[in-house]
Amino acid sequence: MDALGIEWSLLLAQIVNFLLLIVLLRLFLYRPVLNMLNARKERIAQSMKDAERVSAAAREAEQEKAKILEQARREAQEIRAQATRDAERIAQEIRSRAEQEATEIRMKAQAEAARQIETALAEANKQIADLAIMATEKLLGRELANRAEQQRFVAEFLANAGGKGK
Amino acid sequence: MRKKIVAFLWGTQQRKIWTSVIVGLLAASILIRFIAPVPPPHVALSGEPIFSTGPKWFTNSVLTTIIVDIVLILLALAVRFNLKEIPGAFQNFMEAIIEALYGLAESVAGKNASKFFPWVATIFLFVIISNWSGMLPGVGSIGFYHPTDKHDAHATALDGDSARLFDNQLAMVGGSIVLAPLESAQKAPAAAEGEHGKFIPLFRAPSADLNVTFALAISTMVMVQIWGVRFLGGSYFRKFFNFSGPNPFMKGINGFVGILELVSEFSRVIAFGFRLFGNVFAGEIVLATMAFLIAFLLPVPFYVLELFVGFVQALVFMMLALVFFHMATISHGSHDEHH
Repeated sequence: MDALGIEWSLLLAQIVNFLLLIVLLRLFLYRPVLNMLNARKERIAQSMKDAERVSAAAREAEQEKAKILEQARREAQEIRAQATRDAERIAQEIRSRAEQEATEIRMKAQAEAARQIETALAEANKQIADLAIMATEKLLGRELANRAEQQRFVAEFLANAGGKGK
Repeated sequence: MRKKIVAFLWGTQQRKIWTSVIVGLLAASILIRFIAPVPPPHVALSGEPIFSTGPKWFTNSVLTTIIVDIVLILLALAVRFNLKEIPGAFQNFMEAIIEALYGLAESVAGKNASKFFPWVATIFLFVIISNWSGMLPGVGSIGFYHPTDKHDAHATALDGDSARLFDNQLAMVGGSIVLAPLESAQKAPAAAEGEHGKFIPLFRAPSADLNVTFALAISTMVMVQIWGVRFLGGSYFRKFFNFSGPNPFMKGINGFVGILELVSEFSRVIAFGFRLFGNVFAGEIVLATMAFLIAFLLPVPFYVLELFVGFVQALVFMMLALVFFHMATISHGSHDEHH
């Protein structure tokens, strides 16, 4: 033992030193570092989970968005189709009413025109009859006795002539 | 081919400088053999008291043990009080070491790793720093000259007090010309030591001291027994005193196996102690011898080798301790079935 340099006191001192070192390193090195490593591991796992969740939520939101957009597009299409249909219907209505009104106006105008023509013709006939009578009276040099009768006669004639003329 | 060699050695300015430095060192290392011989390596099997008059227990390996302790504790404190969630380079480094060691402990001991970890990690850290401490410049080469018994008589015959004073001066072995007369050193370098008393290095790698290695070995093996009792209770000792068996023959066999187990427990202490001591001590002698043969360049590969050996020995000590701890926690019955 002596030749090898082993001394009980030194051996004991070294054992104590080793045990002390274990206690100190455990207190100052292993426990805090391992705790920190564990805490960090947990935190990273948590972050990963959070990130996973967030990305899942984002994916869901994306899908939701796509769905909403699709729906909106469809609705817009519908609305546009509806609007087109309405517009066409209204246009049709307006057109038909306009046509109707135009027709009415035309008919009224025609009727008016016809009436005016008739009136004018009647007037003209009357005048012509008067003029004819006047002319006849001038020719005869006297007044026709039955003036009313004459007038009617001329008018009839004219009417007949007119009727033939037409 | 010649051109290539010339370009390799003398191509650029930098190459020229390096080549001259290396050639110069080689020449110097050969010259120095004749001009200033390095004394043969100081070989002492055990740690020696630093002060010839001081306490006998205060050996150079005790001093170095304390320094290693301080280094480890300072490292631990530096980590402890700068612990951040986002680690810096230093914290990263220490965490990587701790995590690697813990992973190793877990791979062997599984769920008991947290119990064994402080022990085996401390073994590893203490042993690796001890091993490498022996390779630091100055460890083993800075020291005192102590008067030997023979020299003492000689010195007192001449001039007791002044010789003692002179002997106790700080000296460097590498530059021992300062203290040792040239002629005597040249004639017989070993005699130079005798002339000025015994050379005692100031530092000595703790793991090159049997007290340290046996302290580790004994603590480890005692701990093995404690773990065994803690995990298995009294049945742990059945391993050693096992007289069960279906017939007297098997009883005898088991009894004998128990004795072998008991002996192996003690042999492990010795194996632990001498393995580490032998490796580190031999490594130091190899380095000193190489430095003695050719002072420059030659020791470099051996330093690399010793770095590796230091690491491997620390790892071996740790792994064996871990395995023994783990084996102690497995009940003997299941252990047998396992085989």
